[in-house]
Amino acid sequence: MGLRERLAGRRVLVTGMTGFMGEALLERLLSDFPDTQVVALVRPRGSHSGAARLARMLRKPSFGPLRERLGAAELAAVLARQVQVVEGDLASLPQLPAEIDVVIHCAGEVSFDPPIDDAFRINVGGVQELVRALRAGGSAPHLVHVSTAYVAGLRSGHIAEGPLAHGVDWRVEQAYAARVREQTEDASRSPENSARFRRAAGRGFAAAGAQTVSAEAERLRREWVARRLVSAGGERAQVLGWTDAYTFTKALAERWLEEHHGELPLTVVRPSIIESALARPFPGWIEGFKMAEPLIIAYGRGELPDFPASPDAVVDIIPIDLVVNATLAAAAAPPPVDSPAYYTVCSGFRNPLRFQELYSHVREYFLADPLPQRGRGAIGVPQWPFAGAPAAEARLRRGELVVGAAGRVLSQVPASRRARVWAGQLERAQTRVGFLRRYSDVYRAYTKAELVYVDDATRALYEGLDEADKVDFGFDPRCFDWRHYLQEVHCPAVTAVLRRPRAAAAPRRLSGNLAAGDGVLAVFDLDGAVAAASVVESYLWMRLADEGVWGRARELASLAAALPGYARADRRDRGHLMRAVYARYAGVDPLELERLVAEVAGDVLLRRVRPAGIRRVREHRAAGHRTVLLTGALEVVTRPLASLFDDVVAARLEVGGDGRLTGRLESSPLVGDARAAFVRHHARGVGADLSVSWAYADSQSDLPLLGAVGNPVAVNPDVALHQVARGSGWPIEEWLVAAGESRMVVGSRVERRWQAAAGRGVR
Amino acid sequence: MRPGFVLEVDERTPPLLVHSGDGVLLERFPLGTRVVYPPQPRGGVESVDAAIGAALDAPVGESAPLAALLRPGMRLAISVQDLTAPSPRMRGRDVRGRILERVLSLAAAAGVDEVTLVVAGGLNRRLSAAEVARLVGERVFRSFWPQRLVCHDAEDIAGLVEVGTAESGEALQVARVVAQADLLVAVEVVQTPGAGGAAGLVGGLSSYASLRGVRGVAAVMRDAGLSGSVSSGSLVDGSLVDGPAADGPAAGDGGSAAARLGAVLGAAVPVFAVTATVNLAVGPAGSAFLTRREWEWSLADQAMAFGVGRGMDLLAGRVRRRALRELAADYAITSVTAGEVSAVSAAAWAQVLEQQAVEVPGQADVLVVGSAPFGPYHGSGPADPVLAAHGALAGVFGGYRGVPVVRENGAMIVYHPMAARFSQLHQPSYVDFYEEVLAESSEPATIEAKFERQYATDPWYTSLYQTSLALHGVHPFHRWYETAPARGYLGEVVFVGGNRAVCARLGFRAASTLADALEIVSGSVGRDPSIAYVHSPPGLVAQVR
Repeated sequence: MGLRERLAGRRVLVTGMTGFMGEALLERLLSDFPDTQVVALVRPRGSHSGAARLARMLRKPSFGPLRERLGAAELAAVLARQVQVVEGDLASLPQLPAEIDVVIHCAGEVSFDPPIDDAFRINVGGVQELVRALRAGGSAPHLVHVSTAYVAGLRSGHIAEGPLAHGVDWRVEQAYAARVREQTEDASRSPENSARFRRAAGRGFAAAGAQTVSAEAERLRREWVARRLVSAGGERAQVLGWTDAYTFTKALAERWLEEHHGELPLTVVRPSIIESALARPFPGWIEGFKMAEPLIIAYGRGELPDFPASPDAVVDIIPIDLVVNATLAAAAAPPPVDSPAYYTVCSGFRNPLRFQELYSHVREYFLADPLPQRGRGAIGVPQWPFAGAPAAEARLRRGELVVGAAGRVLSQVPASRRARVWAGQLERAQTRVGFLRRYSDVYRAYTKAELVYVDDATRALYEGLDEADKVDFGFDPRCFDWRHYLQEVHCPAVTAVLRRPRAAAAPRRLSGNLAAGDGVLAVFDLDGAVAAASVVESYLWMRLADEGVWGRARELASLAAALPGYARADRRDRGHLMRAVYARYAGVDPLELERLVAEVAGDVLLRRVRPAGIRRVREHRAAGHRTVLLTGALEVVTRPLASLFDDVVAARLEVGGDGRLTGRLESSPLVGDARAAFVRHHARGVGADLSVSWAYADSQSDLPLLGAVGNPVAVNPDVALHQVARGSGWPIEEWLVAAGESRMVVGSRVERRWQAAAGRGVR
Repeated sequence: MRPGFVLEVDERTPPLLVHSGDGVLLERFPLGTRVVYPPQPRGGVESVDAAIGAALDAPVGESAPLAALLRPGMRLAISVQDLTAPSPRMRGRDVRGRILERVLSLAAAAGVDEVTLVVAGGLNRRLSAAEVARLVGERVFRSFWPQRLVCHDAEDIAGLVEVGTAESGEALQVARVVAQADLLVAVEVVQTPGAGGAAGLVGGLSSYASLRGVRGVAAVMRDAGLSGSVSSGSLVDGSLVDGPAADGPAAGDGGSAAARLGAVLGAAVPVFAVTATVNLAVGPAGSAFLTRREWEWSLADQAMAFGVGRGMDLLAGRVRRRALRELAADYAITSVTAGEVSAVSAAAWAQVLEQQAVEVPGQADVLVVGSAPFGPYHGSGPADPVLAAHGALAGVFGGYRGVPVVRENGAMIVYHPMAARFSQLHQPSYVDFYEEVLAESSEPATIEAKFERQYATDPWYTSLYQTSLALHGVHPFHRWYETAPARGYLGEVVFVGGNRAVCARLGFRAASTLADALEIVSGSVGRDPSIAYVHSPPGLVAQVR
């Protein structure tokens, strides 16, 4: 009797229907088993119900051939006829229909390094809940549990199909996993750790203000918790002899089933590394990236100089359609209740692929058909020396050290165009090193474990098929040739997306396409964004303009002595810096200051204004937006630009009883969080909508301001802001000072003499 | 005075001095190149103060001496122009300051109390206090600044009064203090034939609206008398009228539109003009090699030329421009004339023409020119591409009487780096003119129709013009229009050493060497063209036979 007949009239419950394996199973069941009823356990997600998610799946490429054969409408009808959707989550299942004959359990946490509690909840707890619900529903179906060949863990030599030999108590481990999150969350809140997160956040974001620092500290804490939970899983798994939390929890799930399947016939299917389809639904079908694809692509891009694996280690890859066929065959052959069946679906025993062969097939593929690099011809692929794991590890370590050191150096570099270029390069290097580290860690265990899975039971299952089924539903790993599979099926499928011709990305240009509208603010930071000048400089213009040679020298000397302090203050807190600089105005006559600005500083400011910035302000005005200038500079300094802005928010100095400046500010300087708070307040006042408003700023101290609006733009950002902007996808613009403009702080000697004379003339 | 002459390059000719933006280089020209040398600077009058006194006492044209025109209780306005002359600026005391002192002491002697001084900058940038002080002299500055010594503001609606209409329909608005004065004394320096005069007065004292018509592309083309159409670059009518040199900020004599407006002003307000002329000078006394002929250079001159060429290269860009910004020349005052405007201008123009005229035998296929590190509008800013093109195509090209030095559809080769550098302080509208307008079109007529009004009335440029040191928003447009006659007349314009992208945007070609430039133009002028190199600055007026 054929497979179709054996499963005809049966009701099959499938979990994990929306995963890679579930999708392949559904496609097979819909196209080849019209008389088999399917019960799909699907978790609703967001606004999509389980049924809707299933219906959307039919639009995916895997259903392409079937859709072509039946037509989309008929396919939907088939789905409705043949599939019953049960909405639910493996954490707590609803009432399951009775009369389920077979359960194929493909749901699971498939990431290698999940947090330990997730791994247990899904991989062990899911099985427990499934069995509980089946029993509660009153059916005693044949339970087909999809596990993995790697449950064998860190062993070597031949691994037979059968229960695993280990003495780990799942109860103890599961209880620990349930506790560990709470413990870690508690630990992350300890005073020591809180202080650590706060310090780390302060190092990066002190200038942006307390709110930004707290948010960053909290982010660091959450990140730390996640990291701890992941390493708790990985370390526990390795100490007990597994490669990672995934295989560890899968192994414990098998053990639980062996102990608790009771009256349910149990079959455990253990596929090795599942990769793209050999033939069904079409050759090369793959969903998302699995295990080897990132490496193949990194290699094809020339980014993988070597890999820590021994060339003769066996890489056990199996195409998805073979796994589906084997699973269906196993499902159609329930074992006796008291002797569970084990089927390892793999290639390593009967059609082994050694790492060296994998490498040379992939290399040949890329040599024959290299990946394109946009506008720069083809990419050359490296030749691996197979220098061994220690050498590759040392090389990776060196890379990490260099990247780390460069990052520390760069964080101290003042904002400049060059620094931003470096930051971009560093970011790419970091990504690359991070990628290598991750994959090197993940694969180390797999490439080290030199074991061979024996698949005699699976072979016997295959031999038991009808001759026709051997063709339609075959899963003999000898049926294909690795060169063909890798070079003509797998690699082309994996690299297809990279070969798709792409138009050169149009540079993101904001100019000229601002949407007009009421209630839109455009907030500009003066210092460093609209103008290339800082608080210290603006102080200098004004003091130096009125000093004689000796006075200037004295002023410069005292300022030079104070500068390191200012630099520190700027890093720590912009407000400190402004107070420190403005204190130097003590005793100055405010009228004198105004006169100086009118004659000198105004021109100097206009010289330093960036034309692109002015153009942008004007574009915003033309679009009907309300323009706001935010600056730590003195109000008098901004006067030449005042006509461009609807609102100017600048610092004002306090005038003492003697009519002279006290060197103190009238109110707290508007920096960091205060800017965001001001903009929110201002927007309410003028009835503007911040979600469509714009802000332009240059430094990390403006992060709160940029974060407060819907359209933030980083202008000539410092390294810290550059990184945040890139991470958040904010546009980054370079506004240049008009080339050839004098950077001199004051005019020539002759000019100054006349300016002084002009001033006397007024009085 | 040693007259100018034309040298034919032969084997013995040394490398010749060529100005290229903010540097100089020594260039070997192809054999047979005709090099047009300006006359060497002549000496000035012996006593400037005596010459001023004499001129005021013995006016030309139908005018009484100044002393006779002054009476107690009258309103006297004094305008000071042309702010773009001389170029480079005059070192030491400006002759206009001396004239002012003399005029003011006459006024004081006559009991005139109500005196206002107007710096007639027109659409040029306002002068800073320091610059005004340098222009009028410290004593005058202290007595009058800032209440009774003002810079003309062409955008101050309240300060402008309409005084009449030219027969062509152009309404004329001028500064209120001038319109309401009983007498206007116009004090100016003339360096170029055709500059200043009545047209210069109007340019300096009126508004954008008054000047729109006379500075438009059509008027510029008419005034130039080169009847080529701007877009096609061909001459419809081969005959060239014998017009004045289209040089300086307000070109033209009685025939030009600006001059007609000048006549309207003259009819509304009695004008007594006092005009000084200066000789040809390029730099300080120490840089005599700039005006000497290369084969006559002393060892010191050779060392200077080499040193300046190398030194400028060695100086970083910013320092180099700073050095040039401080550039000032030692001028000699060659004449002072006073009296009726038209007669004074005519005398002054004749005087400068005599100093600058050079006979040139026939037109050449290719005109090669250097470009000076200074110019009438550069101010303290570096030479940007727009003004560099203006200096070559309107300034040097326009230095002719009769017919241009180069034939119609010939080629012009200019030395200039053409880097997109603008002064953010002085030229805010130039920055955007280059970025927005020229990016769309370099055709003067197209630009005029599409962009002029927007720039001229832009509140931001206007506010910068009024309160800062910025040129008026329409300034780059007017300069660009002034290049229209040459663009229409010439077949090709190549900039040696020019930035390619910038040149392309401006509608020119770029070459790295003279040889390359000649190769580029060989398509239109042939492999063996006749070449004329105008050895300028100092400026000259070619009289082509």
